Amino acid sequence: MTRAAPHLVLALLLAVCFTLATTIQPRTRAWSDRAKSGNVLKMLLGDGRRMFANHFFEQADISFHSGYYPSIFDQREPAGKSAMASGKDEHDAHDEAAHAKAMAFLGQPRDWIEAFGRHFRITEHTHLAHGQEREILPWLRLSAELDPQRIDTYTVAAYWLREKLGKVKEAEEFLREGQRNNPNSYEILFELGRLYRESLQNNVRARHVWEFALRKWNEQDSGGAKPDPFQREQIAVNLARVEEEAGRFARAIELLELGKQTSPNPAALQKQIDEIRQKSAPPSSAPNAPAY
Amino acid sequence: MSVILKTEKLRVEYASRELRSGIKVALNGLDLEVRSGEVFGFLGPNGAGKTTTMNVLLGFVNATGGEARLFGVDVREPIARQRIGYLPELTYYYKFLTAEELLRFYARIFGIPRSEADRRIETLLKLVELEHARGRSIKTYSKGMQQRVGLAQALINNPDLLILDEPTSGLDPLGRMKVREIIQRLKSEGKTVFFSSHELGEAETICDRVAIICRGELKAEGKVSDLVTQHQCDLEKLFLKLIGYQPQEVI
Amino acid sequence: MNNVLAISGIVIKELYRRKDFYVLFVLTALITLVLGSVSFFNDAKIVRYLKEICLLLIWVASLVIAISTAARQIPAERENRTIFPLLAKPVTRGQFILGKFLGCWLACGVALVVFYLFFGVVSESRGRSDSSTTGLTSSAATEGHAASAKADDHEGAAGGDEHHDDHAGTEHFSVLLNYVQALGLHWLMLGVVTAIVLLGSVVFSAPSSNITISFIGIIGILLLGEHLNKVALRQQQPVQGILYTTYFLLPHLEWFDIRDRVIYDQPPIAFVDCGLAALYAIAYTGLLLFVTWFVFRRKTLTL
Repeated sequence: MTRAAPHLVLALLLAVCFTLATTIQPRTRAWSDRAKSGNVLKMLLGDGRRMFANHFFEQADISFHSGYYPSIFDQREPAGKSAMASGKDEHDAHDEAAHAKAMAFLGQPRDWIEAFGRHFRITEHTHLAHGQEREILPWLRLSAELDPQRIDTYTVAAYWLREKLGKVKEAEEFLREGQRNNPNSYEILFELGRLYRESLQNNVRARHVWEFALRKWNEQDSGGAKPDPFQREQIAVNLARVEEEAGRFARAIELLELGKQTSPNPAALQKQIDEIRQKSAPPSSAPNAPAY
Repeated sequence: MSVILKTEKLRVEYASRELRSGIKVALNGLDLEVRSGEVFGFLGPNGAGKTTTMNVLLGFVNATGGEARLFGVDVREPIARQRIGYLPELTYYYKFLTAEELLRFYARIFGIPRSEADRRIETLLKLVELEHARGRSIKTYSKGMQQRVGLAQALINNPDLLILDEPTSGLDPLGRMKVREIIQRLKSEGKTVFFSSHELGEAETICDRVAIICRGELKAEGKVSDLVTQHQCDLEKLFLKLIGYQPQEVI
Repeated sequence: MNNVLAISGIVIKELYRRKDFYVLFVLTALITLVLGSVSFFNDAKIVRYLKEICLLLIWVASLVIAISTAARQIPAERENRTIFPLLAKPVTRGQFILGKFLGCWLACGVALVVFYLFFGVVSESRGRSDSSTTGLTSSAATEGHAASAKADDHEGAAGGDEHHDDHAGTEHFSVLLNYVQALGLHWLMLGVVTAIVLLGSVVFSAPSSNITISFIGIIGILLLGEHLNKVALRQQQPVQGILYTTYFLLPHLEWFDIRDRVIYDQPPIAFVDCGLAALYAIAYTGLLLFVTWFVFRRKTLTL
């Protein structure tokens, strides 16, 4: 073998590797979405990242309860949403009671080990307040990073940001990010509308966004996706309020009628409809009212 | 002269899957006596039971039968090891320590006061010619240097009995010479040395008495000169005869 | 005792001359600092997530240090044959075991102090959460505390500062005590862990299998130990009996994990409870070391 032979073999092997790489690489892109993703977490964890996202969302709730939280081994009463998630829904006394009941998971200690162990655990049910709600935000941010399609994360974070921490701009940005990741989400649009109406007092933008949300809800419904009827009622009722304030009574009544179909308390909505009817007599026509 | 090391009908058995009986007899009724101030050579082929005997004497292995005593104390008692120094066949020391740290650690084990330990460490490092390398970690030492550290640690407690397991194996001629010199010097200081070896010439030169062991049994014991006279052959031929070596004809 | 201390000194020397501890510390510090530099919604006051992650890393690092250090002690002595010159000296096997345990445990303690100092610096530099919000002991206490904070506001310059200083001082002391308790209990737990791993090292021949089994076992106890009784109650006999017996026999290491109390600014634990937990840890450590000695005392060591 001449002195140049090893170098030639090396060059040949490099050429083979390069050729194979250029041939195979375009094919591999078709094998999985993972490689195409610009998101490092998606590339690393694949769909497994959603599991971590759930974990971090729960971690936010644990943080909201200052570490007082039931484990999977505790017999917890089903109470629907956590206090963190339901906070934005202006939960009433009934919700509070249900939540308190659900969180009373400790009960009497079963043995001395459990009784003694409680000295080292957090055993008081408290919620974050007075601006300390900020402590849940990193977990929600991580949850959104890991699972951008988890809608709850955006709506819950946005609520606490604008409502308790006065960070309206950050809340809007986060909701916009959520909307980019979930263009068909009526939930995010609804929350965005609330932000415009309640925090920025911009009823025009709120109305547009809620109209859009209602359209998205309908699209999903007609597509057979079974969207949340309670959410439609929420959108309709809030939108009705804006329409009423703008003097578009007919449209407001129409929206309240829509909300009544799925409302747990249709009588209250009927009362509102009656009040608007009284206010609007003689009736005025609602301009450019879209049909639903 | 008093008896420092004594074994009586010492028997050691190991469980063995290879043998039909399931038991391998490593030592079979071994009787030994080493007296104060003598250099005792413990000779035998590989697998004869030399290391097993040392393991029993040092408490690493429990005897199945018989008994072993050092200074009249059962070898299972830690106090029996207070006055002995032990040099293993190969160097087994904490490689992340320096020679000085290692000697200080063993001095502490023997409860030697700090000032006395300092003095002994100085003397021993000089004796084994490692003064220049005292601050280097042992892992950087050559094999010969490691063997010399071993010798120094075996002497840290100024022992009355030294147990050396093939102390010259793997050393170059100069290293062997130095070890022999140290053994001679210890003998002149009145120390007792019990060492195992394959080197028959070495045993002939420095030992007062030798014992030849084969397959766990004592084959001969006594002064080298007495054994040679009694069997009318040199130590090497006697050794080969006792271990049952049959020279084969060259085909 | 002299022999025990001498042997433990060697273990400590080995640990600080190896790179494990430094690597783990740098890794913990690096991850914490990187996460600490991330801004979440432009809010610089957020601190609990940092505490949570830093403490989690400290726990993982301490378990890795304790388990890997303890697991290799006896097998490495046997494999490198350093045990022979050592046991050829007047050292009993009990002293050998005790020395190894003490060395590992003290080394873990030193590592923990360094880690917790770092944790203290990180969390204090970020500024602690305003404790007026979560409540120190209960929601009632929260209200009281919030009320006192309001009262401070009203007092204003008229002597309110002194009151506020006193209050801040008490709060700082409470936080410091929390850290000390967390460190102390963590260290006690590592004592039990070290003893478990040492026992494993005389039972299992390969250190790697000991490390794996010990790690799984200890993480299992930390995560599930306190829930075994609940699981047991949902089972039929004899599984229920077996689970309940295991529940009572297991060392409840989860007691010693009071990270949540530190993260959520809870009041310190009563000293009597800490004392009882310490006794519990000492009893288990003693039991495990005794079993280790019992297994090791007649073990044949061959060159």
